[in-house]
Amino acid sequence: MSSATTFGSPTFYSRFERHAHGEGLKGHATHYCAGCGHGLAHKYLAEAIDELGIQDRTVAVSPVGCAVFMFYYLDVGNTQAAHGRAPAVAIGHKTANPDSIVISYQGDGDLASIGLAEIVSTAQLGIPISVIFVNNAIYGMTGGQLAPTTLMGQRSSTSPKGRTPMMGQPLKMAELIAQLDGPVYVERVALYDNKQRVKAKKAIKKALECQVKGTGFSFVEVLAECPTHLGMEPEQAEKWVQESMVPVFPLGVKKDVTAEGPNFPTIPRPAFDAGHLLEVIDASPDAPPRFATAFPTHLDPTDVSLKLAGAGGDGAQTIALFLTRSAIAEGFDSTYIPSYGPESRGGTSYADVHVASEEVLSPASPDPHVLVAFNAPSLSKFGPQVRAGGTVIYDSTVVHEVPPLAPGVRVLAVPFTAIARDLGKVMVKNVVALGALQAATNLFPAETLLNTLRTALKDKAALIPLNEKAFAWGAQAVTDAR
Amino acid sequence: MPSSPGNERPKPFVFAEYCKGCGRCVGACAKDCIHAGTEINALTGLVPIELHLDNCNGCGLCIAACPEPFGLQPAPGADFDLQDPEKMFGARPSTAQKPTDIPAVRVPLPPMEPLVVKGTYASALGALLAGCRHVYGYPITPSTEGAELMAKLLPKLDGVFLQAVSEVATVNIMYGASGAGVPCMTFTSSPGFSLMLEGVSYMIGAELPGVFVNIMRGGPGLGNIGPEQADVKLACRGLGHGNTHALVLCPATPQEMLDLTILAFELTFKYRNPVVLLGDGYLGQITGKVSLPDHMLQPGLPSWAVFGDAAHRGNVINSIVLGERDLEVHNEHLNAKYARMAAEEQRAALYECADADTLLIACNTPAQMAKGAVRALRHQGVKAGLFRPITLWPFPIDALKALLPQLKRIMVVEASPGQIEDELRLALSYADVATPKIEHIRHMGGVLPQTNEIVERVLAGRAQEAQR
Repeated sequence: MSSATTFGSPTFYSRFERHAHGEGLKGHATHYCAGCGHGLAHKYLAEAIDELGIQDRTVAVSPVGCAVFMFYYLDVGNTQAAHGRAPAVAIGHKTANPDSIVISYQGDGDLASIGLAEIVSTAQLGIPISVIFVNNAIYGMTGGQLAPTTLMGQRSSTSPKGRTPMMGQPLKMAELIAQLDGPVYVERVALYDNKQRVKAKKAIKKALECQVKGTGFSFVEVLAECPTHLGMEPEQAEKWVQESMVPVFPLGVKKDVTAEGPNFPTIPRPAFDAGHLLEVIDASPDAPPRFATAFPTHLDPTDVSLKLAGAGGDGAQTIALFLTRSAIAEGFDSTYIPSYGPESRGGTSYADVHVASEEVLSPASPDPHVLVAFNAPSLSKFGPQVRAGGTVIYDSTVVHEVPPLAPGVRVLAVPFTAIARDLGKVMVKNVVALGALQAATNLFPAETLLNTLRTALKDKAALIPLNEKAFAWGAQAVTDAR
Repeated sequence: MPSSPGNERPKPFVFAEYCKGCGRCVGACAKDCIHAGTEINALTGLVPIELHLDNCNGCGLCIAACPEPFGLQPAPGADFDLQDPEKMFGARPSTAQKPTDIPAVRVPLPPMEPLVVKGTYASALGALLAGCRHVYGYPITPSTEGAELMAKLLPKLDGVFLQAVSEVATVNIMYGASGAGVPCMTFTSSPGFSLMLEGVSYMIGAELPGVFVNIMRGGPGLGNIGPEQADVKLACRGLGHGNTHALVLCPATPQEMLDLTILAFELTFKYRNPVVLLGDGYLGQITGKVSLPDHMLQPGLPSWAVFGDAAHRGNVINSIVLGERDLEVHNEHLNAKYARMAAEEQRAALYECADADTLLIACNTPAQMAKGAVRALRHQGVKAGLFRPITLWPFPIDALKALLPQLKRIMVVEASPGQIEDELRLALSYADVATPKIEHIRHMGGVLPQTNEIVERVLAGRAQEAQR
């Protein structure tokens, strides 16, 4: 005997070790019923992989359904996906290794029912993977239930008297997928005679070529026989597909723009350069200048708590962040925590800031030393929470009434909005408030906050003079009020 | 015996035991060479087809019509042994070398000034430093900023950020990327985490790494976007169906969001198991000081990966194990791994515990509130300490056990209806130790326990005790 002789496609394992440990006949026979279309789809896939020379690069994603055990047979990288999610798993593989050739192999329940969101979104994404969709109009593995592709009138174990409109209409996936912008190639083929089988094999090969050439997402729907659950002899099942399925699921190419070249950008390959990473995350070896000589113990021995409150868009969050940045630049610990209403603009928006000599322990400011209020609701809500001896600064342009406050709370009315308006830009009212806060509390030296401000505006340098002015006018207003 | 002398095209032949008798080849033959069989094959119980090849022109259409990989074949040369199919299908050794683990490389970083970033950003930066360049996700408040930062930074690092169609798709994309052996992660929040759990179960079953940052918000249902800790039971006891566990890390500061994300990547590959990083809504949003480590990681490639190359062609990623005993063995293997995690990965931070008789137990932001309370209580002469589990699964019972003899009171402070206390009580119960009185402060709905409240409760308890 010639030992070089091998049988079957080399993309099939020579023994199916994963099929019942490869024992007995299972080592060389599939688990599919006689006449099942899956075997042919597997075979054409294997042959196409041979012919394209991509066996080493191929990752086959098997579905939940009768084809769940595809990894028993195909001698390629194999992954078994959760029900309906094979296209998502395929995205993972393709993005992890753009050189891999990724096949998402799915049945009709998997792809057209539970996995609709994944297949439609992946197809529209257009990432170069190849989807082999085996449509046999019935659930196989679970035992012959209604599939999304079951024909009208067709009996199944969950449509015992035949599919009625109450169960919806059969879903035509190839047409649906072909409507999308993402795919480059969509075809529906069948297996019921020699001619269809030749076309089916050609289509599966073309689908893989779309990946080899990097053109894009491809989708081949294979009308397949399920003699067992159709309750037919294999030959009858072939005839049924031809006569009953094809009129509902017409064969042919539904979309082919492969000639137009790649429809998806090159998937990047990560770089791991330390210097580049540090640059990208904006890390710096240079310590910021320090201006403070000591912790602001005149406010609290170890931990100063502030609250900045207003409406969304008032800019409370921005100056809260500036305060935290300034504190950390000075070598203190600091935290800032925002709280927003559900609206992007106009809802309530307040921020809690802590500045601690060692470590901020509790980031919330339920009883702040300092409150900056941009509107009346903020002042009436948080003013009474300010601890005895604390400071309240509010926008006197819009707030005209001060609620009862704790004993010894210092109240400063500063017209943030009016000052900002005088400067020609209402938006800088938060910087006016920051200047007022500095002058009123001396939390940090003015230069600390100005340095943070300038750093934040380094890409919008033209705005620096205006902001510096806003800061100065805010501070001046406090001085004048004294 | 059919054979193909000269230039004739090969004729078909079949081993009867590999033919299921489906008859597709019968209709495929125009020369009427193939007939439905009449005899039951003793090995298969099926009726294979019969070949009568006198008229065969070797067109091969029957072979193309056969659905079995080892069914109808082109007959090879003359002298092969029909009696020994095993030999016929001889081995096809791959030329590829067996895959070996390519370890991650530590790349040193120069000293840098601390960054001022929010918790979700810190976690994202930690992932980048740990070598993660594949991030998938679906926007959900209050975790979205992590994904947003990744969407901004990853393109600059030739990485991939992909916004999936849902959390369900997200976890399955992770299953694929992780199956290919690359470090990957997602940012999500409670409702999104619920949706991912089926996929987490698959990842655990298939032994895949992956980091899930869950910034917990208020529930149940849509709840709100306030800080809660009510996914502890999901993360510790309910990671989808089946026998599942994952290491659950609980940072308390932006710095720990970075540090523990880096650790999460290390552990997820060490154990080939997902790691869950639980933060509360506050922690995701807190901006604070974050120092960078002295190195970053360039990931390697594990030997088990299905990378899509020659070396890894023999691998399979799956969670289906059909044989009952086989699946039991797989679960025993998982249990051994869980036991190793439980023994080796317990982590806790102890604050002022050395002489404490009153122990606060808290995680995440409530732990910071509790830390503030410990300091305030110490000022008032109360011997309070904070025991902060950094791993909630496994619960750091060994470190706690050492403290038990000196404790008079335990107070669990949490933003959940007792899920952390449940973990504590379960751990104590398994440890089979005498337990001091356990009290608690619980809040829900986005309300966090505050420092003053904790102090007051501890003092009130002491006053009561004193009255007795």
